[in-house]
Amino acid sequence: MKPIEITLTVNETTHTLITLPNRTLLDILREDLGLTGAKNGCESGECGACTVLMNGAAVNACLVLAGQADGCTVETIEGLSKSGQLHPIQQAFVDAGAVQCGFCIPGMVMASKALLDHNPQPQEEDIRQALAGNICRCTGYTKIIQAVQMAAEELRHD
Amino acid sequence: MTDTPLHLGKSYPRRDALEKVTGQAQYVADTDLPNLTHGRIVRSPHLHARILRIETAEALAVPGVIAVLTHADIPGAKIYGDLLPDRPVLASDKVRFMGEPVAIVVAKTRQAADEAHKRVQVTYEPLPAVIDPFAAAQPDAPQVHENGNVLSHFTVCHGDTAQGLAQADLILEETFHVPRVYPAYLETEASQAVLNPNGTLTVWVSSQKPFHDRHHIAAAVNLPEEQVQVCVAAIGGAFGGKEDANMPVLAGLAAYCTRGAVRLVNSREESMLAHPKRHSGQLHYRLGAKQDGTITAVEITTHLDTGAYASYGPAVGQLLTEVAAGPYRIPHVRSETFVVYTNAPIAGAMRGFGAPQANFAIESLVDTLAHRLGLDPLEVRRRNIWRPGDFNFTRVRVNQAESTSLALETAAQEVARLKALPASPGKKAGVGMAMALQTMGLGWGVPDDSTNRLEWQPDGQVLLRIGAPDLGQGLNIAAAQITAEALGVDLSQVEVAPINTLLSPDGGVTCASRMTYMVGNSSMLAAVRLIDMLKEEGARLLGVQPDQLEYRGGQLLRLDQPHLPPIPAAEITSRLAEEGRALHSTATFSFPYGPEIPTDLGIGMPHVLFCLGAQVMRVEVDSELGSVEVTHATAVHDVGRVINRAALEGQVEGGLAMGMGFALSEDMILKANGQWVDGLAEYVLPTAMDIPGEVKIILLEQPESSGPYGAKGIGEAVTAPTAAAVANAVFAATGVRVHAAPIRPEMLIRPA
Ligand code: FES
Ligand code: FES
Repeated sequence: MKPIEITLTVNETTHTLITLPNRTLLDILREDLGLTGAKNGCESGECGACTVLMNGAAVNACLVLAGQADGCTVETIEGLSKSGQLHPIQQAFVDAGAVQCGFCIPGMVMASKALLDHNPQPQEEDIRQALAGNICRCTGYTKIIQAVQMAAEELRHD
Repeated sequence: MTDTPLHLGKSYPRRDALEKVTGQAQYVADTDLPNLTHGRIVRSPHLHARILRIETAEALAVPGVIAVLTHADIPGAKIYGDLLPDRPVLASDKVRFMGEPVAIVVAKTRQAADEAHKRVQVTYEPLPAVIDPFAAAQPDAPQVHENGNVLSHFTVCHGDTAQGLAQADLILEETFHVPRVYPAYLETEASQAVLNPNGTLTVWVSSQKPFHDRHHIAAAVNLPEEQVQVCVAAIGGAFGGKEDANMPVLAGLAAYCTRGAVRLVNSREESMLAHPKRHSGQLHYRLGAKQDGTITAVEITTHLDTGAYASYGPAVGQLLTEVAAGPYRIPHVRSETFVVYTNAPIAGAMRGFGAPQANFAIESLVDTLAHRLGLDPLEVRRRNIWRPGDFNFTRVRVNQAESTSLALETAAQEVARLKALPASPGKKAGVGMAMALQTMGLGWGVPDDSTNRLEWQPDGQVLLRIGAPDLGQGLNIAAAQITAEALGVDLSQVEVAPINTLLSPDGGVTCASRMTYMVGNSSMLAAVRLIDMLKEEGARLLGVQPDQLEYRGGQLLRLDQPHLPPIPAAEITSRLAEEGRALHSTATFSFPYGPEIPTDLGIGMPHVLFCLGAQVMRVEVDSELGSVEVTHATAVHDVGRVINRAALEGQVEGGLAMGMGFALSEDMILKANGQWVDGLAEYVLPTAMDIPGEVKIILLEQPESSGPYGAKGIGEAVTAPTAAAVANAVFAATGVRVHAAPIRPEMLIRPA
């Protein structure tokens, strides 16, 4: 297998890397860039723990091959809080008590951001649908859904 | 103690929430080590086979490979186990389940380890396998271990069931099947270890029991326990499944043998195959009752599939035996349980520890009884339920038996409210309920201690060291609140230290709904001691008698000179620090077992505290598809005392969701192609789409006299009754009584 060169912008920093083409965006984030916020829960698109935004849309980073990420803009959980301030979605997750073990949370927060970026006034059903690919085994989702509602409210007032 | 609580019942956010929402929390696989290498486990592809040969040369030839380790490389104990040592660290002569570790490849990169693990050539001779516990208990079944497949057999008798059944007007005989549930914590099992230059070993774990891990690791590599340090990383969920030392032992072994740093992370497939499940099995009931619904006797025979190795199977079987007759005063009971080895995945501890299986059966059966007698299920429960002063058939007096009827009557109101709701078009609606019965603690006479250490630091902060980990359920915040309450200080003054076996006291295992109770009690004891010590040291430094000082809210007041300003604790502790001393207290709380229990029970150590409650579910069943939607859920639980309301609600909501998975979708079965259900696409977990539109939580606070501020455990009781409540609601909607979970649509569509 021949290595390829790719360029991608992650959290506003541009990186050019040489990598094997069978590696995933998740591998690159976690292993090459040291961004371990996105988690590996299944490596097959079934849990959502690796959710990041690619060109503004929520994707499972474990399903994106290196070549597909070439030229893309990627936003991860590490890029969300600016100058030490939690993003309103992060703050809402804390305030709602929506965080238990936390392993699903970076993915949940990024999936919520993708939703609220496109639909600032979601109905409860929209939230459930937007998070349907993100498994959480701890919380039973109730407080996560509440957190997204709180964040939507907060973002509307900003 | 203060009259108006400072911190109890408040929904403080957890301390670690901040690092978790920012992605900074360090789980095992996020913790970098210099010169880290990667392990990959070679696992059995067979259910049952003899190992004829293991060839490693081809794997060793892969560039980057450092070592391939087999059982022959283990310097110390090659077998381990928590209740009994029956589990090989790496299989030697035979494999007993699919996924059993046979070898471990260590390589410089993950890719090399992946590649090489495929090239380890193991020659097997397949053996006949058995994966049904009832079949495995028969004498002619394939033998999983040499001494027969029945690992444990418990029988508890109370009264004379033949006599009780003879008094009955109606006898029901029913068999229930319960699924093999995968804990499905979102973080798969992971561990990493490094052999330090001084020959000691440091191991990072995602585990419920770091001190037990240390014991097993040390035994396997033949080091004294003091030379093995176990550090608990952030834990991505556990639910009982991370009471298995396999990964810590293998990581420790790999680092020891390669004299380096090794990371071991399971894939989801490995996690599903090789780590403990909730016991599946069958429960057979004969239950007799009078025309008015009074239960006269019950005989229960349970076969539990414990898989290839014991893990916590015997203890799960025992707990199930004790709760199998439900929270009912039944004069004649016989409860018998067989815990049986099979070639299925190992079953062990999982949230509820046998109670969810028993709750599903007995609570379905009580509803069936009501239906057969033409009575209201609530009425039948009222007639039989425990009352104050009652004993379980294990001869244990029920703590707060009044919670049972309180929960029942609260649930009855919810049943009435939900029954009034109209069904959606094309759907049949039904409301069902079930009582929750869960035990707390480890069982009579089992040594159960929790030791905590409190350190009042020179800057005024109080550091709390507890010895069993927070799995995400919120133990640390609850412990901090109890400590801050007992000290009368601001919550921000109390910090909980990460767990490290060098510095933390041994707190046993995070399990059995015991944590808030045990850790809370020992925190309170340690706080009282710390206050005494502060007064003593304060008196010495100030040159007064201790009784001239009064402690209040983190400060000392001078009783002899009341006009002087209060002295903050930090002033004392910083002066102590100047003397090179520190203010700390350690306290151990031992589970109070109360009076001796008759030992002729058939189980030596019944559980002595119960967690009681009830759940109500409203379902809508699609008349054509048979699909079940839970639209409303109400959970009523006696928690003794609320410590952190949001954390407690989170436990209830999460436990309910887990119970719904048991009820409606989760079962790890062997597929027609001879492979186990694999991956989260085939093993269906509840998602945000499946959660009821209304989840109502009603917390009863009947103080537990032995609990910290009256609190008791909640982590497990919330999962126990859900499946039966759903099944009873499905019966109310459709008239179909299911005898197996999960409830599949095809069970509900009647042939036209
Ligand atoms: S790790 Fe990508 S979806 Fe599970
Ligand atoms: S908080 Fe544990 S998986 Fe969501």
